[in-house]
Amino acid sequence: MRTRRCAGCTKTSAATICCTSWERGRAPPLVPLPLIEGSQDDGTLNKSLNAYVWQPPQRGWLALFLIGLAGTGVLFSAIAITIAKGIGMWGNNIPVGWAFGIINFVWWIGIGHAGTLISAILLLFQQKWRTSINRFAEAMTLFAVMQAGLFPILHTGRPWFAIYWLFPYPSTNSIWPQFKSPLMWDVFAVSTYFITSLLFWYLGLIPDLASLRDSSSSKRARIAYGIFALGWRGSARHWHHYKIAYLLLAGLATPLVLSVHTIVSWDFALSILPGWHTTIFPPYFVAGAVFSGFAMVMTLMIPARRYMKLKHVITARHLESMAKVMLLTGLIVFYGYLMEHFAAWYSGNLYEEHVFFSTRPRGPYAWAYFTQMFCNVVVPQMFWTRWARRNVWTLWIGSVLVNVGMWFERFNIVVTSLHQDFIPSNWAMYYPTWVDFSLLFGTICFFGTLFLVFLKFIPAVATSEVKELNHELHEGGGMSELEGARP
Amino acid sequence: MRRFILGEFTEPDACVEAVRRLREEGVGGLDAHSPYPLHGMDDALALPRSKVPIVALTGGVLGALGGYTLQWYLNSKAYPINVGSRPPHGFWTNIPITFESGVLIAVLSIFFGSIFGFFALPRTYHPLFESERFRTASLDAYWISAETSDEDAVPELEKKFREVGAHKVHSVVESV
Repeated sequence: MRTRRCAGCTKTSAATICCTSWERGRAPPLVPLPLIEGSQDDGTLNKSLNAYVWQPPQRGWLALFLIGLAGTGVLFSAIAITIAKGIGMWGNNIPVGWAFGIINFVWWIGIGHAGTLISAILLLFQQKWRTSINRFAEAMTLFAVMQAGLFPILHTGRPWFAIYWLFPYPSTNSIWPQFKSPLMWDVFAVSTYFITSLLFWYLGLIPDLASLRDSSSSKRARIAYGIFALGWRGSARHWHHYKIAYLLLAGLATPLVLSVHTIVSWDFALSILPGWHTTIFPPYFVAGAVFSGFAMVMTLMIPARRYMKLKHVITARHLESMAKVMLLTGLIVFYGYLMEHFAAWYSGNLYEEHVFFSTRPRGPYAWAYFTQMFCNVVVPQMFWTRWARRNVWTLWIGSVLVNVGMWFERFNIVVTSLHQDFIPSNWAMYYPTWVDFSLLFGTICFFGTLFLVFLKFIPAVATSEVKELNHELHEGGGMSELEGARP
Repeated sequence: MRRFILGEFTEPDACVEAVRRLREEGVGGLDAHSPYPLHGMDDALALPRSKVPIVALTGGVLGALGGYTLQWYLNSKAYPINVGSRPPHGFWTNIPITFESGVLIAVLSIFFGSIFGFFALPRTYHPLFESERFRTASLDAYWISAETSDEDAVPELEKKFREVGAHKVHSVVESV
């Protein structure tokens, strides 16, 4: 066997590289990046993770907050107009009776799903990289589901009646909901999902609220955080139940999150409209939801970790793992697209073929179709390369494009399928109105505002869990670079 | 008048070991306080299996039964709607809401069962918080505490706490 001289050291061996590039000061190819950078202990973690809460609001935060508030104003004006004048203010009309309202609903709900995936499913799979980002992602879930909930309620036209149209509410009319409708299932799924996410988030938050209470320097902060910490004293007898409760909530949230988007997809799939009536919808919707949700986590996290100085706990490792999940779910979504088209062709059904091979790629909304395909299929392919997974710019731009692409996916499913259905005399174009755009724009701003408030008042990283992880990583001892590499 | 002896540790493992020794020596009313759950502490305190799963299961089963009954009663008894001559009671179409209600009630019972039942929270006062230094229990220190109502037992317990390695020992009294 020929021996060669290694470029990095003085040894001679069969391979060109005998010492790893790691020894030469670079990360070796197969060793994952650290989960927590630098040498940290409970004290430094406390300080660095809670620092953002204790410092006075920065100018950047205030500027964004004001923009968010202004946008929230736009949202509430649009809601007021919708309620005062009716949903005729929206662009929906027959045949496109469902449009922006449902597109935005599905888009926001989908975004929320990444939070549950990170906090619950990755917990069950014992993925340690979830720990620094779960709080952040769960908050995103809550705020996204709030935005989503607005649309069906507004779409009822008279939201003050929605309570007895949607929930089994005992009114003197003795009229009860029809439980055979997927729309009814949706009400139960989404409200259960919101409550579960909220309680799961809050349970995880209690130890951190206690740590804020105990590190506060003003009496006002101590009382305020003290109320929300409920008197938590970190008792071992409480932790004993807490661990199980947290795990069980994760275990329940996991099938729940799958059921929620499955049921959302049934809103479409249980009808007979070509483009909706497909069995691939549930898995394809769930994958799409996770795909867009991770994209949104990434979009928010990349700037936040920089400005909140959290790079030591949200490392390149976390971003890389999220990019991998996006790549995987993106491929599942792509498979969903392929299968839809295949099933349409294989069915030989004229109307199915018309939607998938005429209306979508060649119809008046073809631009939306190609935007969807470019953003959801082409863009994530760059995450095959390590360079793109570790570069914050490619990650950020890629994730924004995925969010755009996923919005257009729902646009294509809803509008393109509806605007040309069975009878050509029934065909018509759909044009959104300024109220539609204001609602979409407004919810984005409202979401951002809620998120900014969250970042300011609550530690964006689960302090208690990171301390535990840090302790676990140090217990391994020795090979610090390899720690956290295995679950 | 409740009294608590408090001992502070800087290392989690030392804290777990100390609890184990104190329990074996027969010290009653023991508890530990830490910023995150400590590995091996359940064992050291010899805590019985948590009953949270039973609460969760009960909640889940009752929720699912309740959800199903609600749909069955409302759609086939209280207000039957004829849609395309399908039977008013549809077993398969009741499944999604049955599942969702099961999850909902299970989640609510886990959360509120833990907070109100197992943790006995919220509470505005606990004697341990009389000690200002105890605040590090949620930050970066590990504490053990032992409750006693007997004032004379305090010096003896404090001595035991020092023996097992607590580097800061003091006692607090409930303020009435």
